Amino acid sequence: MSITNGAGPSQDESASMGGSELHGVKSVGANKHIGDVILDVKNISLSFGGVKALTDISFNVREHEVRSIIGPNGAGKSSMLNCINGVYKPQQGSITFRGQTFGHMDSHQVAVMGIGRTFQNLALFKGMSVIDNIMTGRNLKIKSNLLMQALRIGPAQREEEFHREKVEHIIDFLEIQAFRKTPVGQLPYGLQKRVDLGRALAMEPQVLLLDEPMAGMNVEEKQDMCRFVLDVNQEFGTTIVLIEHDMGVVMDISDRVVVLDYGKKIGDGTPDEVRNNEEVISAYLGTSH
Amino acid sequence: MFYRENGQFKTTYRADQQILPIAQDRVALYLLLAFAFMAVPFMASDYTFRAILIPFLIFSLAAIGVNILVGYCGQISLGSGAFMAVGAYGAYNFFVRIDGLPLIVALILGGVCAMLFGILFGLPSLRVKGLYLAVATLAAQFFSDWMFLRIQWFTNNSTSGSVSVSNLQVFGLSLESPLAKYLFCLSVLAVIALLAKNLVRGAVGREWMAIRDMDVAAAVIGIRPMYAKLTAFAVSSFIVGVAGALWAFIYLGAWEPAAFSVDQSFKLLFMVIIGGMGSIMGSFFGAAFIVLLPIFLSQFLPALASLVGIEISTASVSHAELMVFGGLIVWFLIVEPHGLAKLWAIAKQKLRLWPFPH
Amino acid sequence: MSFFLETLFGGLMAGMLYSLVALGFVLIYKASGVFNFAQGAMVLFAALAMARFSEWVPLYTGITDPIAANLIAFAGAGVVMFVVAWLIEGVVLRHLVNQEGTTLLMATLGIAYFLEGLGQSLFGSDIYKIDIGMPKDPVMLFESVFEGGILINKEDFYAALIAAALVVLLSIFFQKTATGRALRAVADDHQAAQSIGIPLNRIWVIVWCVAGVVALVAGMIWGSKLGVQFSLTTIALRALPVVILGGLTSVPGAIVGGLIIGVGEKLSEVFLGPYVGGGIEIWFAYVLALGFLLIRPQGLFGEKIIDRV
Repeated sequence: MSITNGAGPSQDESASMGGSELHGVKSVGANKHIGDVILDVKNISLSFGGVKALTDISFNVREHEVRSIIGPNGAGKSSMLNCINGVYKPQQGSITFRGQTFGHMDSHQVAVMGIGRTFQNLALFKGMSVIDNIMTGRNLKIKSNLLMQALRIGPAQREEEFHREKVEHIIDFLEIQAFRKTPVGQLPYGLQKRVDLGRALAMEPQVLLLDEPMAGMNVEEKQDMCRFVLDVNQEFGTTIVLIEHDMGVVMDISDRVVVLDYGKKIGDGTPDEVRNNEEVISAYLGTSH
Repeated sequence: MFYRENGQFKTTYRADQQILPIAQDRVALYLLLAFAFMAVPFMASDYTFRAILIPFLIFSLAAIGVNILVGYCGQISLGSGAFMAVGAYGAYNFFVRIDGLPLIVALILGGVCAMLFGILFGLPSLRVKGLYLAVATLAAQFFSDWMFLRIQWFTNNSTSGSVSVSNLQVFGLSLESPLAKYLFCLSVLAVIALLAKNLVRGAVGREWMAIRDMDVAAAVIGIRPMYAKLTAFAVSSFIVGVAGALWAFIYLGAWEPAAFSVDQSFKLLFMVIIGGMGSIMGSFFGAAFIVLLPIFLSQFLPALASLVGIEISTASVSHAELMVFGGLIVWFLIVEPHGLAKLWAIAKQKLRLWPFPH
Repeated sequence: MSFFLETLFGGLMAGMLYSLVALGFVLIYKASGVFNFAQGAMVLFAALAMARFSEWVPLYTGITDPIAANLIAFAGAGVVMFVVAWLIEGVVLRHLVNQEGTTLLMATLGIAYFLEGLGQSLFGSDIYKIDIGMPKDPVMLFESVFEGGILINKEDFYAALIAAALVVLLSIFFQKTATGRALRAVADDHQAAQSIGIPLNRIWVIVWCVAGVVALVAGMIWGSKLGVQFSLTTIALRALPVVILGGLTSVPGAIVGGLIIGVGEKLSEVFLGPYVGGGIEIWFAYVLALGFLLIRPQGLFGEKIIDRV
């Protein structure tokens, strides 16, 4: 299976990083160059009323890497992503992105800074078509004002066509051409997840937060999704922060892993280090008998 | 066999993005416009203009405005009557106080007044939604009722709040005859409908729909809920304001605050629900329905009743009207929440297959 | 001073009347999460039924004793409201389970219009009287404390008592009975309540019946005061700010909210009105509610509204 060359959103970074041919789930990416720390989460604590969702979490993410967050259900993984995204505001701690530190994030600001997100429960715009959903991801880049859009001449029309072309590249990349005009509410779950990814990609993000992108998929669908994620990471250099339950996927494609349990961090390191961590094994991975 | 997309391939994004991608639809629209502009003037009687066509045109315009707010952006509004009132009285004040002000300018200025009023009373939408927002818009409605009744300045010091305009003309052509009024309203409607359609299929329309469908996700992709909601209120109330000014100037001629009461707000909401929320075409359907239904009932019911030998009074007809409205709202909400526009789309789908079964 | 107190009392009692209608809103919202825009129409429908029944009872049954006639009329109107509740549940609500709030809101708007049309078709659209023997004369109180005394309208006073009694009954019902608990569960989450075996449909019928009876009581009192006519439906619109203030889920809130709105309207009209041209009653309640929406949307006693991602 090969991917259409040159498809996908254009980036400031130069393309061509690592292998793009994929067999199964194993990543290649031998030429990948992992950069400095781009996102640094320090001492984040989050609680809802009496429930402590996150307690003193600290970890960092390096540029161009694939960082996975794993842990049992209820460990606080989604809450962590929500804090980075500005959906939740942590009571304590700070988040540093590219040198700028924040006590809490503002959703809009986060999007402008180039952090994209997919959702565990699919926050798609059910009333719109696939094209329109992905086009909303281009919103930040659309500059024409209200009057220009109403008249739809000249610059406004050209802008619409320009962004439509970008969106079409994403649609090609995700292989959902046949469904482009379908209202997303009518699509099967697996395809909806692709549209969710497409919408995040349309933002041309530097960091992509993926919340269980492969949940509820069968083996083939997972392979496809892995391929997309790895392509995004390797061809366009997008840093990936990934929440995932499938250990096979996590161990294969991650560069580093963070393990959460009951809102606390119990492991942080390469997949091999984490796999052999006693605490992680007893809390989450389990041993074979 | 006539309604086919076969052979209509698009080679540019521009072609794919146009308002009516299917050629048959475009032809149909041009024919309809030609009919409306050139044939109807010869065919319709004064009564038809006054009682059916002009109200239909003005309500369609208002319904487009309300649809933008309620259907596309998902912000419930029970205050559309107030926006019409502000548009009407705003235009009136400019028209009457500035000598020689062209009518179109007065109408636009009325729309601007309504827009500002709309933005002000749209601010609560940043905090609340659903029923609570409905209450906020009702506050706008009742405040406006009071404002034009009691604050003398707005009505040029008329004690009862009633005012009138006369001798309207546009580009030197008088607007006294029903035909002239009809053509004027038709032109205004055509222009604004096109602008509105461009907005809803562009970036801001997608923002509105994103807010409607899932506002948290919208914030995360960089859509600012405040900007989206307030622009929805602004654009919507501008259009409704212009419609209100048209209603006052062209249709009524002389009016008082009661012409824009809360009943008008409900009527507009019903037009949008029945016609189809989130659909420009649906606004036309809804307006047509609401304008034609009372006329239909007042002709049809007595005829039906006399078949069985009962006499029906006009009061009974108006009661029946209420029942039919209410019943239809409920029926549409249960069976086809997307209204007549959806039924039309389904019919077109079937038409694509016709005369084949599948 | 006595004038101020008169206005105050007048406001308090007008407020109780609002509360009566607001109670219907709260009941249905508490139990099904639906805001019932049709409450005003139900008040009108119930009042029309009772007014006409009380006319027809002497004619058709020969019972001329006014108290008995009124009781029969009340019972008859109650039955009518039960039927209405049952029909609303079966024809409308059942098909709209788990739709979003806005859809249900608009459905109740449709029901409101339908009931208004139906009520007037069935019972006529003139102004009718309800005479339940409420004393209509005013009475002078506290003559020893304040010079000239304070003028209190006896009818309003009795109405306030009835409303208070109703509130106490309903509060007990919601808090202490199993049905009340079931109602609150249903209001929280239709599907979850269904999945633990709460019979959704039956619960809804019960709630709408109770709301119907509340509407009947409200209609009876308002009708006795103002005469039964179409404008009764606008009372629903007047009572809406009451539930915003008091909280949509709080029965005592409906009373407190009603009192505040009633007093506020009267006081603002008397003391503020002259400066701004008068007639501010029509928007005072709404603007007050608007203020609350911006500061404290759940009202004084309501549950905090949580929006989950």
